[in-house]
Amino acid sequence: MVKRYRNFKEIGDTVVLYPDNYINDIEGEKLEELCASYLERGFKKIVIDFSETDLINSIGVSVLIGMIEKVREKNGAVLFSGLKRVNYDIFSIVGLTKHIRIYETEEEAIGVGPDTAGHVTA
Amino acid sequence: MKDRMLFNTCPDGEFFGRVYEIDYICRRAAEKPAPAIFLFGGRWTGKTELLRRVFHGLFWGQARVVPIYYQFKGYGSAEEFAEDYLKEVLKQYLAFRLRDARLVRNEVSLDKLDRLLVDNDLYDLADLAAIHREARRASDSTAALRNALSSPAMVSARSGIPVYLILDDIDHAACSDGQREAALSRELIDSLSLGPASFVASASTKRPLDGAAFSGSAEAMELPGLDEEVATSMMMDLGRQYGVEFDTEILRLAATRLEGNPMYLKSLVWAAAKSGVSLSTLKEFGDLYTQDLFEGNMGIALRSALGLRGINSLRVLHACSTSKRPLSDEDLSERFRLEPSELENIIEGLSEAGLVEVNLGSLLWAGGSVVKDFICFVYETRVKGRSAEEVRTYLAREILKEGFGFRGARAGLKLKDEVAEVMRSFNNQKVLKLLFRNQAFSARFKKGKGGDEGELTVPQSVGCFSSERLEAGEAGPPILVAHGFQNGRYDSGNEVVWIASVKDALSPVNIGDVENFLRRTQILRENFRAAKVVRWMVGREGFTAEAQKRIEAEGVFSSDSVQLKIIKEGLADKDSATRLKSSDKIAPVKEFEVVLPSSSKAELVAAKAVEEIGTEMGFDDAAIGQIKAALVEACINAFEHSRLKIAKVFLRFVASADRLTIHVQNGGVDFDSPSEPSDPIEAGAMPRKRGWGFELMRGLMDEVRVERVRGGAKIVLVKYLVKGDSSNGKEV
Repeated sequence: MVKRYRNFKEIGDTVVLYPDNYINDIEGEKLEELCASYLERGFKKIVIDFSETDLINSIGVSVLIGMIEKVREKNGAVLFSGLKRVNYDIFSIVGLTKHIRIYETEEEAIGVGPDTAGHVTA
Repeated sequence: MKDRMLFNTCPDGEFFGRVYEIDYICRRAAEKPAPAIFLFGGRWTGKTELLRRVFHGLFWGQARVVPIYYQFKGYGSAEEFAEDYLKEVLKQYLAFRLRDARLVRNEVSLDKLDRLLVDNDLYDLADLAAIHREARRASDSTAALRNALSSPAMVSARSGIPVYLILDDIDHAACSDGQREAALSRELIDSLSLGPASFVASASTKRPLDGAAFSGSAEAMELPGLDEEVATSMMMDLGRQYGVEFDTEILRLAATRLEGNPMYLKSLVWAAAKSGVSLSTLKEFGDLYTQDLFEGNMGIALRSALGLRGINSLRVLHACSTSKRPLSDEDLSERFRLEPSELENIIEGLSEAGLVEVNLGSLLWAGGSVVKDFICFVYETRVKGRSAEEVRTYLAREILKEGFGFRGARAGLKLKDEVAEVMRSFNNQKVLKLLFRNQAFSARFKKGKGGDEGELTVPQSVGCFSSERLEAGEAGPPILVAHGFQNGRYDSGNEVVWIASVKDALSPVNIGDVENFLRRTQILRENFRAAKVVRWMVGREGFTAEAQKRIEAEGVFSSDSVQLKIIKEGLADKDSATRLKSSDKIAPVKEFEVVLPSSSKAELVAAKAVEEIGTEMGFDDAAIGQIKAALVEACINAFEHSRLKIAKVFLRFVASADRLTIHVQNGGVDFDSPSEPSDPIEAGAMPRKRGWGFELMRGLMDEVRVERVRGGAKIVLVKYLVKGDSSNGKEV
């Protein structure tokens, strides 16, 4: 069953989050809260689709790193999709691309089995 | 709304920079013990405004010290000062304690203060008022003075909170030569040296209390004019506010020429608004500046501040202002036939006014360029008997030359390139002959003589090249050759060749240069036998008299940088198509300015602006995304370190042929120190959470620099443009 809301979509045990155009401290914290609520509800796979996101600032990046750590502590997995070139560059500079699987589309990310979702081969 | 207004300050929208200094003094004031600070700065650099804002910050923002602000002014007697000072200390303490701003603003009599102190059970402080009355009745000025100066210590003892004195224009306490006033400055300095209250004191000169030395330790803090960036932004804001049209480059020039002095900058914009003139061209700036300096606000303010009583004082001052080296007492005494005692008095007066620095018997000009211009005007009119209009014309011309040099230097253009562009833009336009005759031009502007008003028609140019191939091995300045046709007719009879030499040096064209040019053109013209030849010499710094004479006799055209500038502007105005063609080639630099207010997501405004500029320049989407992200980081950093809610961030985008440079400045406060690139992260460990700003900027841009500017720093971001390639940047 698929439930789609304005900024997230639930598909089985997977949730897709759709951040805003600009991820700063406020938007990052919103995302973090949303993610925490899904972890509490038992969701293990979290896909963040950045198709609508043009800019992520360093504070937004900090919040995302914290969020990924929390998901990992709960044995969950975070996957990114729909990254624009500049956002990929930003994650690459901070070294996040070594820790997160990144997919072209959200569909590709959703299709990944839970066993491989949390691991990245360098 | 709660009444929080204390002393008058200018509106926040008109206050620029100085955030660092205010923050620094407020922080130091709260230290135990707070250090003494002497704040030095030229006239009208904003010392009073700064100190009043410090007072405001300390009054409303902390409880560790009791702030007392006092501005020194002229006094009839020591008793008069004592009463004024005592009243301010007592009423400002009451205001601080009762959190009542009205007490600071309003005049309160000593009797009323007395009652207020008693009503608030502050009997020991009320005693100070009683002692003062008693001392006045007994005409004991020393007792009155000591009582008043001890009042901050009494307040500290009574309240248990140290007093922090903010003493504005402390040099005014020592400017009188009367014996009683000398006692005032001595008693004042003693109370500051020995008393428990700490202080910040402002003065226009570095010898604020001559003859009365402060014996404690103190920090010296210099308050220079506003940084070019902040000063330009200030003028832009004022220009918009007063409906004055402007060109940013001209404002930048004005900001530099007026030494970033807020009073001069405001005065210039007001003068433009009042006379309905824009600040869009060099000439408008030159006219407005000289007019305001001689007859407007600037002139009135300088006349009243400098005094300039005696003619000999003016002579000495003028000699110091025009000399490039220090002048000795002996030089001046001999030159102006002055008695040693008279010269000593003059030097003392000029030194107290901060106009000269005296070191080991030598005098060095310390008054700045605006005061120098003003002295030049007063000297030329009063001593030399020249008319105001004559001096104004001369000064306006010097400013044009200076400004032209400034603009030329900024655009990175060489004079040779400018001359080539001018000759390429010849298209049958009419130009004043005067602009090609330096002797006549100089005579008209320097000596006020009339000149030849006739016009000449330049040819239609078909090309311009350097003479190197035609005269390999020749020495001397470069020569340019332009081919064209007169009268719109393309036949041999109308063929014309312009041969131009260009001397781009700091010395004028001399007779040797002229002879060299005449000899070379004689040989070069052999290559163009069929054509009429026009010879033209251009010198950045003009021509010597001997060279001018020879040039005139030979019928050679001559222009200096000012004339060339006017020719260039004139040619451009006659034909907009030519102007566009020309600007494409000779003005590769375009500048844009954006001032960001402190508001949520203001950095996105910057990102939007750079997207437009980057697209216009030809950057691809990926590069634009990188620039936007880096700029957002720089803006966040700038806001984060501004500390004040009202702080603004100033952005300057410089779009040149091969790169985009962005300057990000926050009006006076430092940025984060850029961290060194991080060590490799341990395998498997997640990246650290914080401190990525500078690394992101470095990773996304080709160059990232932090430059020190007056009172703070700015971040400079550079991205190179590689046209025709899908990914712009240095890696390509």
